[in-house]
Amino acid sequence: MGSVLEAEGLLVGYAGAPVCGEVSASVAAGEVLGIVGVNGAGKSTVARTIAGRQAPLAGDVRVHGLLIDPDAVPFRRQVAAVFDDDLFFPSLTVREHLLLVARGHSVADPEGRVEEELGFFGLLGRADAIPDALSSGQRRRLLLAAGLIRPSSLLILDEPEQRLDPMMRVALGVRIAEHARNGGAVVLVTHDPELLLATASSCLVIDHEVRELEPERGASIIAGS
Amino acid sequence: MPGPELLTVDGSTADRNLAAEIVRFTRSTTRRYKRSRISLSERFVDAYSWGLGIAVSLTIAASFVLALRNEIADRSSAGSSIIGEQWFALPESVLWTTVTYAFLLIVANLARKLGPVTVGGPESTWWLSLPIDRRPMVLPPFLRKVVLTSAGLAIVFLPFSMVTAVDRTPIGHLLASVTFAAAGVIAVALAAFQQLGMVRPRLGRAMTMVVLLACAVLPALPESPWPAALAGATAVVLLVLAGPRTGEVRSEELIRGGAVAGHAGASLFMMDSNEVLRALGAGRKTVDGGRAAGFFARPAGGPLRALIRADVVAFLRLNPPLLSSLLWLVACVAMLLVEGGLPEFAQLGIIVIAGCATASGMGGVARKAALVPELDALLPLHPALVRSSRALMPCLAMAVWMAALSGLLVLLGASDPALIAVGALAGIGMGTGSLRSATKAAPDWSAPPVDTPFGPVPRAQLGSLMRGLDVTILAMVPLLVGLYLGYTPWAVGMVQALFSAGIVMVAVLSRPKRA
Repeated sequence: MGSVLEAEGLLVGYAGAPVCGEVSASVAAGEVLGIVGVNGAGKSTVARTIAGRQAPLAGDVRVHGLLIDPDAVPFRRQVAAVFDDDLFFPSLTVREHLLLVARGHSVADPEGRVEEELGFFGLLGRADAIPDALSSGQRRRLLLAAGLIRPSSLLILDEPEQRLDPMMRVALGVRIAEHARNGGAVVLVTHDPELLLATASSCLVIDHEVRELEPERGASIIAGS
Repeated sequence: MPGPELLTVDGSTADRNLAAEIVRFTRSTTRRYKRSRISLSERFVDAYSWGLGIAVSLTIAASFVLALRNEIADRSSAGSSIIGEQWFALPESVLWTTVTYAFLLIVANLARKLGPVTVGGPESTWWLSLPIDRRPMVLPPFLRKVVLTSAGLAIVFLPFSMVTAVDRTPIGHLLASVTFAAAGVIAVALAAFQQLGMVRPRLGRAMTMVVLLACAVLPALPESPWPAALAGATAVVLLVLAGPRTGEVRSEELIRGGAVAGHAGASLFMMDSNEVLRALGAGRKTVDGGRAAGFFARPAGGPLRALIRADVVAFLRLNPPLLSSLLWLVACVAMLLVEGGLPEFAQLGIIVIAGCATASGMGGVARKAALVPELDALLPLHPALVRSSRALMPCLAMAVWMAALSGLLVLLGASDPALIAVGALAGIGMGTGSLRSATKAAPDWSAPPVDTPFGPVPRAQLGSLMRGLDVTILAMVPLLVGLYLGYTPWAVGMVQALFSAGIVMVAVLSRPKRA
């Protein structure tokens, strides 16, 4: 099977200044690429560039062999990204947000899928609440549910474990692994060594020089040992 | 996976229907939620308050416009004017056409800064990532903006037409307003063309300037429905060309426009003029990397000299408003030279408006520095010295501008050459006003109004809104007296010096207000 994601000589940063070393990596279907590093290393910048949210300074990123273009329909159809965007429609409930995404992606039986995701993420009791009435952890779960309810061949997650309780983190790890088993590719930026070990098949350490390591080594770097 | 597709999706009816359904779902759910939160009585109170406010504002504006119109209509050719030697009479039609053109250019510029095709924050997160046609998401709001812009421009142009073309019939005024509104729609549509990338940026700007120049002439043409019909037809054609392609605007452009519009709108609602200017100036490319680099690199002889050097270089690099300053100067003189002449108070008012607008443009560095006052606190200098350094370049620039304006007025016989010195001194006070304005806090709308014999007055909010403008106008008072008298006695010069010195002391020694 060909690569879902290929980054070649990717340089990311702001105002012409790179924030980390060159990134070259490929992720095939069924693989989970973990991205780790210290605070401010540039992990989220790499993830945002791969998701097409900012232009790279140099190098290429290809999804299914095509240069990334967040405005192209195939890209929007195939790539799902969950960042820390705490932006919601103030008048739409949790259920309505998920329905919007499910219908927009032509998911079969959108109402049924929404109920499944609400159950998985423990939001059934808050399904009719508006985002302002949710805790930060619940809003995080809503964002994750929106990212996972729709089909995608590439899933980009930027520190999804933030504000989640330990049980939810474990469940999320199981879910990510299942997504990969079903043929998806995942790029996972994380500070959680357990989540990394439970899901990643390879690991990039972001620094002035970007290295590819075994997930166990990446986990020990996160843990500070 | 299929090959690359056009941004406009596959164009199938099913896809368009899905996109429309998503938008309808979001909007209807939002409306239903809002209706459930607001009671009928609250809606009635809101509608009544808005209606009353609008009616009162329109009544005041209408009475002012009619009074000005009657004043202009009744003025004799030998009426009083501050100009003593009118060695050139600018035809009224040329002046008002130029003002119309300038206004249309402002509309086009604002439209481009604010989009004109945009999405809001939640829409950018939840809609743009859906693999569907974006046209139903962005076209209806764009068309609503076009309709509101045209309605607003028609309302704004009506009093302008009544004041500047007193011989026109009421139907003529309405036709001129409709023509101007259509010209405004053309300006917005041309901005949309640039946003879509249908024309290269420079060509787009040049096209806009040429087309709007032609549009500016139309409202001044003799009473006829043809200019309105021509402008209207052109606007419709441009909208028909741009409208179907609004779904192709790139997401970064949609989000940029939405962010600027949201920021500026919120600042306008809170009546925070500094924040409005920051919002509209956010995307401007900053000139950097060379201007006054040699001057900046010279060794500093102490912290104060280093700070002054930094403030001077910052002023020179942050795109000082050279063009707008010159335009205000030219506009001011043109207004004074108009054939037939304006009433004296209107001439003095124009000078005040031009001075305040130019002074406001000089406060860019101070506005940016006011965002992080903690940086100034780190300097080993008394805060008064820091404020003095920050005020230096605006004072110098305004002194030059006012001296130039005063010189032109002297040439026109408005006063004697001593006015130039008075003008330069006034400029110093006005430049300080821009610093005072830049450091004002946003109005605190939670503070209650103060009871007065005239009723409740929002004193705290008015004080905050007027801060900076108050001393800028005060600095011009002696100069205006000199213009009104037609000569500049030494007492006016002394008073001007005292006023400007006092304003500088107050601005430099008083702490910036915090909200």
